[in-house]
Amino acid sequence: DEIGLIPCPEARYNRSPIVLIENKLGVESWCVKFLLPYVHNKLLLYRERKQWLNKDELIDITLHLLFIQIYFIFCRKELILSGTLNPLKDLHLGKLALTKFPKSPETWIHRRWVLQQLIQENSLPSPVTKGNLGAAPVQRIHRIVQEEMNVCSEAAGRYPSNYNAWSHRIWVLQHLGKLTVKVLLDELSSTKYWVSMHVSDHSGFHYRQFLLKSLIGRTVTDSNVLVQNQMVNEQNPSLQKEESAGAEAACVKEQSVDLPCCLEKELELCTELIDTYPGHETLWCHSDETLNNSHHSPATSNVPQAMDVDGFNESRSKQGYTQETKRLKRAPLQDSFGPQMEYQFIDKVLSTCRDADQARFATAYRKWLVTFLGQ
Amino acid sequence: MRLYSLSVLYKGDPKVHLLKAAYDVSTFNFFQRSSVQEFMTFTSQLIVERSELGSRASVKEQEYLCHVYVRNDGLAGVVIADNEYPQRVCFTLLDKVLDEFSRQVSKIDWPSGSPATISYAALDGYLSKYQNPRDADPMTRVQAELDETKIILVRR
Repeated sequence: DEIGLIPCPEARYNRSPIVLIENKLGVESWCVKFLLPYVHNKLLLYRERKQWLNKDELIDITLHLLFIQIYFIFCRKELILSGTLNPLKDLHLGKLALTKFPKSPETWIHRRWVLQQLIQENSLPSPVTKGNLGAAPVQRIHRIVQEEMNVCSEAAGRYPSNYNAWSHRIWVLQHLGKLTVKVLLDELSSTKYWVSMHVSDHSGFHYRQFLLKSLIGRTVTDSNVLVQNQMVNEQNPSLQKEESAGAEAACVKEQSVDLPCCLEKELELCTELIDTYPGHETLWCHSDETLNNSHHSPATSNVPQAMDVDGFNESRSKQGYTQETKRLKRAPLQDSFGPQMEYQFIDKVLSTCRDADQARFATAYRKWLVTFLGQ
Repeated sequence: MRLYSLSVLYKGDPKVHLLKAAYDVSTFNFFQRSSVQEFMTFTSQLIVERSELGSRASVKEQEYLCHVYVRNDGLAGVVIADNEYPQRVCFTLLDKVLDEFSRQVSKIDWPSGSPATISYAALDGYLSKYQNPRDADPMTRVQAELDETKIILVRR
């Protein structure tokens, strides 16, 4: 389940350089310079017709490494496409590689290619009846998504602010996870502990910003859907459609209630972490961003969702709804959730903290609040 | 945020002895672990050698922060952590550990002691418990009032 390189400049004993302990594979470093030409020659024999490989490149170990890596990935792609190599096995190998090279861009890029192959495979029509096909692919995708979340989490833990791991995580949610509200909320809660224990990890907090922004986007979309359904209902009143609109209304209501709560909870988390762990700029940046998002979110103003629908009914067009949302956005924020609380918090921090960095961040944050919010 | 090692040493004249230590190298690549542990043992000893009696300091070594407290009676403690782990909690932990150690292990044994001869088993437990500073020490903010002026941050 793990691989590594054992620094060992000379072979002291006449034995294999491969070390296997507790399911972890190690390779003694002295053998690498023998291993590379050997592997390379093997590949050469396999791809005999390629003439552009000359002796100089063989000697240059750096080019060698790069070549082998690209070649390796290229060969594996071919093997997957021809059906010889199971994509899941390749994902497992990638996971292993990430234990040693958690940042490796090539590994992450190749991983996304393999996942795309899997998605395509999953959506192919099958001779099996629809009923049988129904359960398996969804479950399969769900399992894959969960596994990807784990892989990203582990890689993020092995290298500070591992941007590649976190952007892969975002990609998986966008392409495999469908960005449903449930998925977004689950991810928010499952990464909460992680970011609390990695308070200077910018990428981790950036991920949370992505989740919050997606939630905001989701709420607006679902409101639009609800409103469009209402329009349909008015034109074609039927019991079935009303029921579905009712169900949607319930869903949307739930989401719009959750959103201000989510944003408030996020701000609370920031405040708590800033207080407990002074002097981490990441936390202050996250505070900025969260407040920024809440300011632009239509759901956090004082006006309940019902008014949106009323406003729409009056104008009867999507245009009208958009105008309504804009009006709501400009409405003043509630006192309990907004600048007032932040000013109080900053003042408290400035008066009690002894960390020079913390004081600097608090002052900068105050300046930002004043210029940005104009209050 | 992570704690990697917790050691108790004795600053004798002229040499520094390691009395007891606990390590958590689980986050390191399996094949690096023993060399990382050696590095931490060596660094802890070196830092105590270079510190004065009755001092506290936080020394940055590569990507780690080594927090050291050397008491006036020569008993010393070193915590090696990453740069996210709060400094105050480290010193709270060191105070606590050295206090308990001095009550459980007689002073006579300090100058000649070694991990094999010293019987004090609480270090592993402390290291594990303090991995999450909030669980371990919820009153950390209050502790900040004490002795903070004496802490010197040495960056190398």
